[in-house]
Amino acid sequence: MKRTVFIYAVLVLLIFGVFLLSLQMGTMTIAPLEVLRTFMGSGTEEHALVLFEFRLPRMVIALLVGTGLAISGAILQSISRNELADPGILGINAGAGLGVVLFIYFVQGSYTALGGTAFFLPIFAFVGALTAAFLIYTLAWKKGVTPIRLLLVGIGINAGFTAILIVFQLRMNPNDFMQATVWLNGDIWGATWHETLATLPWMVLLIPLVMMQAKTLNVMRLGDPSAVSLGIKVERTRRRLLVLAVMLAGASVAVGGAISFLGLVAPHIARRMVGPRHQVMIPTAAMIGALILLFSDMISRNILSPSEIPVGIVVAILGAPYFLYLLMKTP
Amino acid sequence: MTRLEANHLSIRYEKEAIVDDLTLQIPEGKITTIIGPNGCGKSTILKTLGRVMNASQGSVYLDGKSIHTQPTKQIAQKMAILPQGPEAPSGLKVRELVAYGRHPHQRGFAALHKQDYEMIDLALEQTGMAELGDRSLDALSGGQRQRVWIAMALAQQTELLLLDEPTTYLDLAHQLEVLQVLQRLNEQQGRTIVLVIHDLNHASRFADHMVALREGAIVREGRPEDVMNTQVLRDVFQIEADVVADPRSGKPVCLSYDLMMDGDAQPSQKAFSLGGMHGA
Repeated sequence: MKRTVFIYAVLVLLIFGVFLLSLQMGTMTIAPLEVLRTFMGSGTEEHALVLFEFRLPRMVIALLVGTGLAISGAILQSISRNELADPGILGINAGAGLGVVLFIYFVQGSYTALGGTAFFLPIFAFVGALTAAFLIYTLAWKKGVTPIRLLLVGIGINAGFTAILIVFQLRMNPNDFMQATVWLNGDIWGATWHETLATLPWMVLLIPLVMMQAKTLNVMRLGDPSAVSLGIKVERTRRRLLVLAVMLAGASVAVGGAISFLGLVAPHIARRMVGPRHQVMIPTAAMIGALILLFSDMISRNILSPSEIPVGIVVAILGAPYFLYLLMKTP
Repeated sequence: MTRLEANHLSIRYEKEAIVDDLTLQIPEGKITTIIGPNGCGKSTILKTLGRVMNASQGSVYLDGKSIHTQPTKQIAQKMAILPQGPEAPSGLKVRELVAYGRHPHQRGFAALHKQDYEMIDLALEQTGMAELGDRSLDALSGGQRQRVWIAMALAQQTELLLLDEPTTYLDLAHQLEVLQVLQRLNEQQGRTIVLVIHDLNHASRFADHMVALREGAIVREGRPEDVMNTQVLRDVFQIEADVVADPRSGKPVCLSYDLMMDGDAQPSQKAFSLGGMHGA
């Protein structure tokens, strides 16, 4: 218990620290004192613009998306009883991405000038993600769903959806193609308050719902027979948890693109730190996810400054070695 | 008291019939052991009794009501099932797993109550794991781990305990330890225990009631003295066994056995007729 509180405190401090650092760093460096002054309302107009309209919204998005993907991954790993599962590998991110790309392709007409229509993004991402999840679930169904089949079918769905994505991308004009590619690699560049506000309500709604299921997740993780013995309706519960994971991933992908590895790595690190009980593992994973994405965003903004690299690529560069390490360690 | 019975149960896996028209009553407050060769359907029957698998026909009754008409959480307060080779996520501590056993008694967000903690402590004590409560499950031996799972089922506070091969992969001493824990629970608290078990001598030694299965049908059931004999073992396992009375307990033990000769088809014929007689 004491240890958990300590870990929470350290993570909160780290997030706070990176947040402050990230506010200062970028194409335009703003000294800490200037940041403070701008927040107090007495800074220069230029600083206010950079901080409030460029940096702050994308940092808030980084926190939200990191949280969403981490929790989604934690749920998926537990219901598939496989620590290699995450919304990226299962094709849920690709489904959400396809939903958004179709929205841009047919409705929006162009990627640029998203503006107020950003509020519709999560809806289309949900539809895409839920379609992928529905396909995975029904195709994996054979008198009930076994976790390993869920994972294998998910990998297949991922390949299929990615292929469809490419088809639509190739039909876009070169500029949109470029934008979509960057975005699909996980990108919060140019994020505005519109996107932030489009995601926030979903997170506020979904995260408490997940936390209410923490004990159920504990028991589901023991496997179907034990879960049945402890009074769980496994199929119904698995569907409910899958929908929660899918919606969290959808809300995240809608504004942050298909950031891979985050949903895989964050729960893993969390389990190492606080053990597998979901009451503490999920909040820890959420904070780790937020921290990783916030940190990666800072790197992506500064490492090749003044140009930027998609944050998803930074996460992948940080995450891929860890993923390989996991694969080597898993018997 | 909690009564568990199966009425005209048929169980299929894919298209194959595993069990056909099985009727079975579990004696209350007793230890029942189920024996039979690999693939005879003993695990399947246990899973169906515990609603982990569904019957294609017939039904399982708990206290006279079909288990499919009762809320699953309510059943979980009366009956616990310990599956074969259960696996806990790595890093989980002994006490944490045992606490999961309280799930059927908990509601929503509520934390564990005083009564929950008492049951967890009691379960740890009864299985001799009280001192290892803060250990990680990964750090335990196979026998200890199995006792923790039993402790979880105990924390569930059910009158009925179904266990699928709880002693598999354990060495001789650990097998006995696990079985003696179960025996104590039965003797001191009157819990009804159903065990699927491979070791015939253990099955006989710890049973009040024995059920011998072959090809999804009961060949013989009753007191160990009536079930563990040369004839039944021949019919069930196709072995020639030397069965004598254990000088310590008086229960039958299988001293040694041999495979039956090739071409000796007669006993297996008899098995069918015996199974048929039982059904009638």
